[in-house]
Amino acid sequence: MPREIAFHGLYMPSVTVLFLIAVVLAWALDRLFSGLDLYRFFWHPALLRLSLFACIFGAMALTVYR
Amino acid sequence: MKSITQLPWRREFNSWARSDGVTWIYLFKVLIAAFLTYWLALRLELPQPRTAMITVFIVMQPQSGHVFAKSFYRLLGTLAGSTVMVVLMALFAQNSELFLGSLALWVGFCSAGAARYRNFRAYGFVLAGYTAAMVGLPALAHPEGSFMAAVWRVLEISLGIVCSTAVTAAILPQSSGAAMRNALYLRFGVFSRFVADGLRGSNSREAFETGNVRFVAEAIGLEGLRSVTVFEDPHMRRRNGRLNRLNSEFMAITTRFNALHQLLERLRGDGVSRVVIATEPGLIALAQLLDGFANRFLTPGDAAQLVRELEDFKASLPERVRAERAALEELQPSEAELLDFHTAYELLYRLVSDMHDYAQTHASLADHNHIREKWQEEFLPKTSWMTAAAAGIRATFILSIMSFYWVATAWPSGATMILVSAATVALSATTNNPKRMSFQMACGTLLGALLGFTETFFIFPFIDGFPLLCLCLTPVFMLGAFLGSRPQWAGYGLGLLIFFSIGSVPDNLTIYNPYTYINDYIAMVLGMLICAAAGAIILPPNSRWMWRRLEGDLRRQVVFAISAPLNRLGSSFESQTRDLMHQAYGLAAGKPLVQRELLRWMFVVLEIGHAIIELRREQEMLPVHPAYAPWQSWRVAIRVMGRALIRLFIQPDHSNLQRALAAVDHAINRVQNSDEPFGPHFDTSVLRRVKSYLHFIRSSLLDPQSPFASYARQGSIHAS
Repeated sequence: MPREIAFHGLYMPSVTVLFLIAVVLAWALDRLFSGLDLYRFFWHPALLRLSLFACIFGAMALTVYR
Repeated sequence: MKSITQLPWRREFNSWARSDGVTWIYLFKVLIAAFLTYWLALRLELPQPRTAMITVFIVMQPQSGHVFAKSFYRLLGTLAGSTVMVVLMALFAQNSELFLGSLALWVGFCSAGAARYRNFRAYGFVLAGYTAAMVGLPALAHPEGSFMAAVWRVLEISLGIVCSTAVTAAILPQSSGAAMRNALYLRFGVFSRFVADGLRGSNSREAFETGNVRFVAEAIGLEGLRSVTVFEDPHMRRRNGRLNRLNSEFMAITTRFNALHQLLERLRGDGVSRVVIATEPGLIALAQLLDGFANRFLTPGDAAQLVRELEDFKASLPERVRAERAALEELQPSEAELLDFHTAYELLYRLVSDMHDYAQTHASLADHNHIREKWQEEFLPKTSWMTAAAAGIRATFILSIMSFYWVATAWPSGATMILVSAATVALSATTNNPKRMSFQMACGTLLGALLGFTETFFIFPFIDGFPLLCLCLTPVFMLGAFLGSRPQWAGYGLGLLIFFSIGSVPDNLTIYNPYTYINDYIAMVLGMLICAAAGAIILPPNSRWMWRRLEGDLRRQVVFAISAPLNRLGSSFESQTRDLMHQAYGLAAGKPLVQRELLRWMFVVLEIGHAIIELRREQEMLPVHPAYAPWQSWRVAIRVMGRALIRLFIQPDHSNLQRALAAVDHAINRVQNSDEPFGPHFDTSVLRRVKSYLHFIRSSLLDPQSPFASYARQGSIHAS
């Protein structure tokens, strides 16, 4: 994957785009979890969400910088 | 033995942790978020690390829901502001007069928007306003860099937002959802006590008024919390519809209770009459029922218990009414006494069924999915357009004057002055007292300047490395965050944090230039003082004209209740009236006489408006029968009464009051002399209910506590 993406003449690091995609994915996962009421099994839902996001974003960023 | 010696120590610690401990945790969270952001910004070589750090200070709040909401709107506001700035720069780069003029208009528009939406949406407008100024003014000298400046600013702000939301959510979170649950559970306990006392007639007028002010403030506060918890917690998001419903049902209960209370007050004012004796048993029974829930937390389990008790009470009520009426009729009461008796029991019955609805909704909070979630009636805020226009005009005026001064004198720090006053005027547009807010910010900035000067020129040259820098910045940030967490000093804290950071937090390449430094701080303080002066002079919202205006708007709510389409009317009427009263009450702070007058108007408007909405609902649901046809004389008389009431509430005076009273009397008379097919039973007879509501409107108009009493007296003075 290229490390930079040109967006209307503005060079952005690909991780920025991946960040946005990760946000959308994490949000979808969050909706799923809350829809099934799974958060009641966790001690600290906010921390869980943050960690899940970090995992998703980290996994995606690895495809760029490896 | 050991546990006994530990006990006082532990109790002390717990009480400390719940009061001051929360503040300390908050302070450390602010520090962690700020330094994390600062380090990342320096590491990523962003051009202005302080912007990212300022974002942290602005966004950080003790409760996590507020942080998310504020962050979300800050991001939107920044994007809007940057876009507008880039457009303005593209249009007027060669001509600074036009540029500054349109900037002033834009900031004015945004301040008006901020005053119009007073919750977190306001914050988006504030940001959209001053981001344009913040990005645009420094770029005015070299417009080719303006696009990149906007991009960098958006990145810096996003960094600040990401760090502060992560820190608030993950480290010792104080959730708004929990705060909301607490407030909700506690509110009903307090309300039960209030109702039980009111039914027994044992609370004073004063306690009744403070209680009501409190419930109005809580209804608005809870709506604020609800809109915030949506951002925070999926648990609460699933209950959003029910929370909405709970709030609007609670408002309905308070209005209903106020109506009943008003009627009882009048009946008891007459002395121990036969009607009082006849209604007493029903009231006492409800009061006893509520005693069990008074001043306690109402958990969903308790609410289910309350539902059962209210159901039993409601089922036994018609029987009770029949018995009491038979007893009363043996004493051969007058027509008016019977009417009072029926109205009182009608209101009591409605109060109980409203409470039953409320308790059911409350009990349903325990479930993840529930049928009661389907609720369309939202809390609708209402702001007078005058408030918004005043804020907008003030902002445009200040910016125009400063731009004029800058263009005329070419003062090198002029840009800083405009920029700071744009920020101040936008931030203070959302408060009740813009003058006080601006002045506090000016003081905070002055303090920030003194501390910043000491740090920049006497400490920073001697230290080396990021940890030492953080150590030197910590005391200032802690002081600022502490001041910011106390509502009465919020302005000082905000001024200190933001403007200390703007001037004194070093970038990657530190520049020591005392001359510009001092000039810029003078410009900042000057700009804020001018904002404070303008807040006091140009259309100040906390003065007579404004609350007169709001009082007029409050009265006009009756016109709204009479003429607006019936669909979802109840909830919007209740919430808008309360919102208007709350605003006017806040603006009239420190003027108890004005506040009392406003409160009395609110009671009359709510009672009469509510009765009218009930009347309209009754007429909507009438069965098809010639006796209920729209051309029947009683329905015509009710329409005439509606027009008389509109006239009275738009222009309250003696003759309009007499006219309205005559119209109500006429309507009661028409209803009394109409026949209906479905027997004169308490719960089947439409006309009897209509008569109760009409009688209630009449007694509200004649209430000696209401603002109309002075108009009635005025007339009798003229007559004699």
